[in-house]
Amino acid sequence: MNKRLIGIGLWALLGIAGCESTPATMDMLPATLCKAEQPAATMCQPFVGTLSSCKCSVDDYAPRFNGSKNDTWPSCVSDGNAFVLFGTSTPGASARTLAFVSMGTKLWKNPAIPSAVEMTAARDEYAIANGIGSRVARRQDIHYPEVPGSNKFACNDLTVAAQNPDRCAGPGKLKPIIDDAFTKGIAGMKPVVQSARIEAALLWFFYLSSQSEVWTSSFDNAADVDSAWGYLSGTERSKPIGLGLYFQQLDQETYDRAFDSVLAARCWRDLDKDLPSSCSLFYQRAASQVDKAFTRGMALILRDRIGKIPTLTGEAQEAALNFVNIIGLLMDRAARAIDPAKADQLKTSTQAATAAGVNVGQAQSLLDSLFACP
Amino acid sequence: MLVRRRKNTCVVAALLFVNEGRAVADNDTFQTVVRAGREDGVSEERAHGTVSRSEIERRQPRSAPDALRYESGVFVQQSAHGQGSAFIRGLTGQQTLLLFDGIRVNNSTYRQGPNQYFFTIDSRTIDSIEILRGGGSTRYGSDALGGVIAAYPIDPMVSDGEILFRPQVNLRATSADDELGGRVQFHLSGPVKDGSLGFVGGIGFRNVGQLKSGGRVENPNPNTPIGRYPMVPAYAPDGVTQLGTGFKELTADGRLVLRLSDSQRLTLATYHYLQFDVPRTDQCPPPYAPSGTCLTYEQQFRHLGYLTYEGKLSNFLWPLRISVSVQAQHERQRLDDPSVLVTRLGVDDVLTLGFLASAQSRPLLVLPSVELRFRYGFDQYTDWITSEASRTFTDLAQTAKLSRGQYLNGSTYTYGGVYADGSLSIPKGVTLYGGVRLSYVVARAPAEPLSGSRQVNQSWLPVTGNAGVSWMPHKVLTLRLNADHSFRAANLNDLTARQQTGPGFQFENANLNPERATTIELGALLEHELLGVQLWAFETLLHDAVLKVSKSDAECPLATPECVGAWTRFQLQNAPALSELRGVEAMLRLRIPMGFRLRGTLAYTWGESPRVGSLGYGTSGVILGERVPLSRVPPLHGTAEVVWQRASFELSAGLRWATMQDRLAISDYADARIPKYGTPGFAVVDLRSSFRIHDRVQLGGVLENIGNVAYRYHGSSVDGPGRGFMLSMKVD
Repeated sequence: MNKRLIGIGLWALLGIAGCESTPATMDMLPATLCKAEQPAATMCQPFVGTLSSCKCSVDDYAPRFNGSKNDTWPSCVSDGNAFVLFGTSTPGASARTLAFVSMGTKLWKNPAIPSAVEMTAARDEYAIANGIGSRVARRQDIHYPEVPGSNKFACNDLTVAAQNPDRCAGPGKLKPIIDDAFTKGIAGMKPVVQSARIEAALLWFFYLSSQSEVWTSSFDNAADVDSAWGYLSGTERSKPIGLGLYFQQLDQETYDRAFDSVLAARCWRDLDKDLPSSCSLFYQRAASQVDKAFTRGMALILRDRIGKIPTLTGEAQEAALNFVNIIGLLMDRAARAIDPAKADQLKTSTQAATAAGVNVGQAQSLLDSLFACP
Repeated sequence: MLVRRRKNTCVVAALLFVNEGRAVADNDTFQTVVRAGREDGVSEERAHGTVSRSEIERRQPRSAPDALRYESGVFVQQSAHGQGSAFIRGLTGQQTLLLFDGIRVNNSTYRQGPNQYFFTIDSRTIDSIEILRGGGSTRYGSDALGGVIAAYPIDPMVSDGEILFRPQVNLRATSADDELGGRVQFHLSGPVKDGSLGFVGGIGFRNVGQLKSGGRVENPNPNTPIGRYPMVPAYAPDGVTQLGTGFKELTADGRLVLRLSDSQRLTLATYHYLQFDVPRTDQCPPPYAPSGTCLTYEQQFRHLGYLTYEGKLSNFLWPLRISVSVQAQHERQRLDDPSVLVTRLGVDDVLTLGFLASAQSRPLLVLPSVELRFRYGFDQYTDWITSEASRTFTDLAQTAKLSRGQYLNGSTYTYGGVYADGSLSIPKGVTLYGGVRLSYVVARAPAEPLSGSRQVNQSWLPVTGNAGVSWMPHKVLTLRLNADHSFRAANLNDLTARQQTGPGFQFENANLNPERATTIELGALLEHELLGVQLWAFETLLHDAVLKVSKSDAECPLATPECVGAWTRFQLQNAPALSELRGVEAMLRLRIPMGFRLRGTLAYTWGESPRVGSLGYGTSGVILGERVPLSRVPPLHGTAEVVWQRASFELSAGLRWATMQDRLAISDYADARIPKYGTPGFAVVDLRSSFRIHDRVQLGGVLENIGNVAYRYHGSSVDGPGRGFMLSMKVD
């Protein structure tokens, strides 16, 4: 009897020890389709109208042209000309775009002078957990070299950010502007000017964010590609909000090219689901397409605001000048990368301390030539 | 006249209620082998262990949870240096029950996963801790799914017929976290008519600095974007000092015991624990957040007061125990967010009134050689919650109150029940036992429209029970087979709480159902003076297990942009199918010549649940089956201790080890406390000594982590202390 019971005990223990588990596995996904196609009728859709001087490229992803069948990208999830989420849920970036729109109604789109209450309400939206402020504090400008070291998120350290303000543009450049503007705005110090400063800094944040999310999608979280779309507008193509709406209101084709570019990024992530990315070819193409279209869009925003300076007076003019000062300084890198001499000329106007110091015609002409095509 | 007497002339008043023949001397080296024998203790038929005062003094734990590290089947996780949560059979937090002197410490705000509350019991006031492994709802009610941790306080010393005054001073210093602290305590007792009156009370304090580890624990997979090291904890440039650690602690307590006669006593006791400035290590800063972001428990207080009557009045009240208690829990959390120049403050208070009545029968001879014992009782606790939150712009010192706090202000929660259990001893060494309990739980919370918080109006009437049989085929061998059905009712944290979880957000589920656990366990116990062996195997089936499930933005509550904007969103949800936990626990005790004693433990738990939800942020490439591991289940782990004792000198060594845990739940992949992708194993050795240099002075020293190993208990935010010393002095 005793032996039998002992046997039962051993059987029970062995049963436990021998349990089959179903752990998570880290198997690599199927091989990617990292190869450019050569369709029978390879072609791209020429630009028209004011952009007719621009050259199209068959290496750009073009979902609006024959469902991407004539470009050199393989078939992918974006070919339907709509953004299909990579992840299971709308990205938080979309919520931040909505917050930006909501802040705008209280501040820079407010027909009245923003009150302290409105300023405070806007700041609450900005400062909420996982809100725009939380991302400004870590946003990187991927046009600059990474911070040395193995930690790709070193900009989260405010000390590191202060030492590397170009790469750590969010905490290094944008955050001081926004913090200062809110403080002064709530205190009633030129709230229209402060609103414009916040608007400019946040537009630059959204510009950096779409590009940064494509980058982090390549190594950190593939679903970040959804955020690239979320920071553009987070809506379907025909109903842009946020940065996308700014682009659309200034030039439909530039907006469409920006939307094409986030579809390109999504297409890359459809063709290459590996983490880290294993398809540099389409990653580079998508990133380049995003950069070109978004930079052109920001140039249009700057151009537009420069043009408004002479039409305004008083605090509104000062607000526009502050806006131009901020965006203009941040555009300097892109301009300088194309033509340093023109960049110097442009900077003279965009960094003018007074409205009279802005050579509107010259500055707009320079922007047109530097960033002619999306 | 005050009379000082040596300890060996004193009788601890608690012995009044110790069962005959099962009392164990306090100086027994491995008291965990044999239960302390308290009549109000946990069921001895079940898998259990006991940590004695002498073991606590030998091991010099940093906290009450730390005192459990050498217990079989217990695995202690820490989300902060000033917190600690014991896993028992793979469950922790709200799924285990904490008792202090028989009174529930758990309240309805205990959150899912590890919590800090056992840390709020001052280990220096504890006489012993009993750990019941497996469900215990029949006797203790809700929450006792994984087990019960029952701490018993030090009782006053009394000296028969004489007045006794015994002051005591304990001091301790450690190097790994620069702790400096101590406790001043005194016993005062004397005779009163037909009995005695005794008091023990004290004041303790600690100032604990930042914890230095043996180095940084590394990610098993270094090819992740975060590089070689997990994102938490944050380290100082020296690579060993963990930021977001350190705290201050103040305790005060008093316990007055009036022995009315040989069979009756009255206890009036109060225990106060005040902890200040405890950073939550994994949130200081949270992953990806700027340095300087930190969640700090500015105040973590717990005050407990109770009046207990115990008396042996009749055959069916042998004894009767009645307690009336009041407990106040106070938390003040501050989240500093320099990225937006904001400080968020949350203040949550829970006031609990409790009533407890239980009684036992004397052993009744039903038939010759057939003995019946039974126990029955009633208990009820009611929680009242106040909760509020505010935010302050630090640059403007402008503060605004938020529409709701972590919980819904004005919530109440009542829980209680009646139970009866008993045992029947029949010939041939067989004992049958079992019990049943009817519980009731009522949860009420008001709606809060501005935050989209729904009203809660829930009630449940769970029935639980247990049954078992033990057989002693030989005087040293006992075999036990137990079945238990326990429950945990959804509490106010589950039903109403919202909280940031680093870059994620967790929100309430007002429709949760109770989770229930059915456990079958088989034990073999060999008890001999020289050798003790315990082997237990268990299988627990969790019905409606509450899981943390990832959610989409569309499922966020209304008006919660912080949820919509989060990387990961979680909600607690009942599992649609059974979850399972199974495992083994082993303990070996050996007494060998020359004054040596050995003890070892080993435990393994395997847990699995149905897959619900999807992987959250940053976990691409992971393929999951239809069933997935349960969250934070400890890996295979164990301990070994050897003690050599000669006269007033004692030397001991302790080994703690764990293997790698890479069986991760869906939520674990988004948990920055868990390295990518799994927590590495470790083996850590401590050396200890104590020496009584004078009748009244004892010195102790511990050389901890002599290998200076970088290690982490699975699921912890804090890496273990590096090589360092602990020095203690006790004057009594």
